[in-house]
Amino acid sequence: MRRTVLKGLAILFVAFLFGGGALPANSNAADTIKIGFVADVSGIGATFYKSQKAAIDLFVQQTNAAGGVLGKKLEVVVRDAQLKPDIGANMARELILAEKCDFLIGPTSSAVALAVTKVSKEFKKVVYFHTSNTEALTSTDYQPFMFQVVPNTVIEGRGIAQFLSKKPFTKYVYIGPDYAYGHTQHNSFKERMAQLKPDAKILETIWVKVGETNYSPYIPTLMAKDPEMLFTSLWGGGSATFIKQAKPYGFFNKTGITSLYDLDMLRVAGMDMPEGQLGYARAAFYAIDTPQMKEFNQKYFDKFKEWPADWAIMAYDGLIALTDAIKKVNSVDSEKVVTAIGGLKFKSLRGDRFIRAEDHMMNAGIYVGTTTKDPKYKDFLIMKDVVEVPAEQVWFSLDELKKLQAGQK
Amino acid sequence: MSVQFYLFLLINGLSLGMLLFIIASGLTLVFGVLRVINFAHGSLYMIGAFLAYSLSLLMTGGSLFSFFVMLLVVPPLIAVIGFVLEYTLFRRIYRAEHLLQLLLTYALVLILDDLVRLVWGGDPRNVTRPEFLAGSVSFFGMALPTYNVFILCIGPAIALGLWLMLYRTRAGNLMRATVSYPDTLGALGVNVSWVMTSTFMLGCWLAGLGGVLMSSFANIDLAIGMEKIIECFAVVVIGGLGSVGGALLGSLIIGVGITWLPVLLASVGVQEASRWALVFPYAMMAVVLIVRPWGLFGKPER
Repeated sequence: MRRTVLKGLAILFVAFLFGGGALPANSNAADTIKIGFVADVSGIGATFYKSQKAAIDLFVQQTNAAGGVLGKKLEVVVRDAQLKPDIGANMARELILAEKCDFLIGPTSSAVALAVTKVSKEFKKVVYFHTSNTEALTSTDYQPFMFQVVPNTVIEGRGIAQFLSKKPFTKYVYIGPDYAYGHTQHNSFKERMAQLKPDAKILETIWVKVGETNYSPYIPTLMAKDPEMLFTSLWGGGSATFIKQAKPYGFFNKTGITSLYDLDMLRVAGMDMPEGQLGYARAAFYAIDTPQMKEFNQKYFDKFKEWPADWAIMAYDGLIALTDAIKKVNSVDSEKVVTAIGGLKFKSLRGDRFIRAEDHMMNAGIYVGTTTKDPKYKDFLIMKDVVEVPAEQVWFSLDELKKLQAGQK
Repeated sequence: MSVQFYLFLLINGLSLGMLLFIIASGLTLVFGVLRVINFAHGSLYMIGAFLAYSLSLLMTGGSLFSFFVMLLVVPPLIAVIGFVLEYTLFRRIYRAEHLLQLLLTYALVLILDDLVRLVWGGDPRNVTRPEFLAGSVSFFGMALPTYNVFILCIGPAIALGLWLMLYRTRAGNLMRATVSYPDTLGALGVNVSWVMTSTFMLGCWLAGLGGVLMSSFANIDLAIGMEKIIECFAVVVIGGLGSVGGALLGSLIIGVGITWLPVLLASVGVQEASRWALVFPYAMMAVVLIVRPWGLFGKPER
């Protein structure tokens, strides 16, 4: 009895060890373009991964059904970076060396992305980042083999400041997670607001630990400043939890909240989400009015029985850009493809876009709007009056970029 | 800042501490009797929260009835899971060295966390608060959420219940005797391993209760187990490993400390004072370990 149990455990253990690895035998390399996806599958990465993977699968399926790229089929191999930079770097190496991937797709976590971009540079393999949005990827840690299709933290912070500066508020408070994302966004917001509207002040700044589930110690402190508007870099379950907890304190009687209202956040907040709040999305499926977006929405919904979150849209856009670049140089050699990335013009789900030559950043702005109920979506609120703050108005100027890229480590 | 504001923060902090206590008391109880630090306690708490979420889907969201069903059904379910774990795994390692115990409970954390992901997926989940507890009560003109008040009432009830059970019932006497004289107790004809199993189940019941309370308090995701076990560990070290009273005091110190510290520091001109609240539990733990390594209510190792 004991022996069988042990045997079973041993098998389980081995399965666990190799569980991450895909088993199918290597298909003929000449007929396929292998793309390695360094994904954050575990922990809080799971929500993002689900949407990213779904969109990537959809793209691969459609492309292959239409004959592939340069007559080759796309194949995606996934590795779990577990939100850990060192593991992410190892997985990226493994995808390049063992799986012979020609290109890489980046993770969710910015910390992992910064590790993966180093591997991409080392092996000269093109990688794109769709969800991890640290601005360091295009500035202090810039290397030409990467491109970024998600509005970065600076675009977010400045973009939301630009949007709010046109509103009458002057008394702000801030709460955010105590790591690079929160700090960069906070600083970008504060600087841009000071330029656009000098009389607006942030009266209280509160930093909480990443993954905090209890904001009640901080809510009365924020309220004591009698603010008109709260800007927060909390995201996903974090901002939804904040809203759930702040509501019974009467927080929203006097104060508004501005945050990232991506679809996953709106879904988890559900009907607890107050109406009439100003916020932004990185890519809002319900508001982007392009034919390709509408077609994508329908196909995505038909296949997965849910609407595409922001991460799905951006992961898909990255693949459009990547395959366009491949077609342009008529080669799957990363060193050739990279020559087509800078200045590439492509038809994204978000409309006609380009990738800036100087930092390989797509002109991806944020979508600002006001939360509202919509009879079409029963379980969550969406935003109305959505407009894009064009990236060109808020992204790093070339001067800023030059300085940051020169100070590269 | 007015006195009323500080009082308001005090009540707020106490309710935060009580939620922590409910979970930490299970951890400390299990350590007290079984001498195992069960790191999987946080995972069991998380399973409790997700089970509550699943149950909430079966019933009308936000009704008081569904909330009470969750409170009645989920903690015993977690206790049953605890029974299975104790019977198959934990009882093999009571006499093993601490490193082995740590390995086992940490392995359990990984397995249980992945199981939760397999069953419930990775999305954060939201359980609607029962309408009766979703509002607020007025406190010196400030609105205090009814749910926080509710937790503030449940916490002391649990503390009192545990105290009565440990010190006023035969079961409690047996549990306490198991700590000091397991062999004598066995010689007297008491089924010691059954006492241990029951204690473990009680600890898991508390984790489940914490999970249910948490599911309506915040949104729940795959990270809440790890978050809470670290906090609970700090609480238990501060209070003294194995001491339920210590866990109560430790939880309240942390709850009130986190709430008061930023305001107090800000009032003397410290910038971004909230960052100090982040280190407070761990700084407190370090101080206790230096000054009184066995914790506030613990006893030095013999």
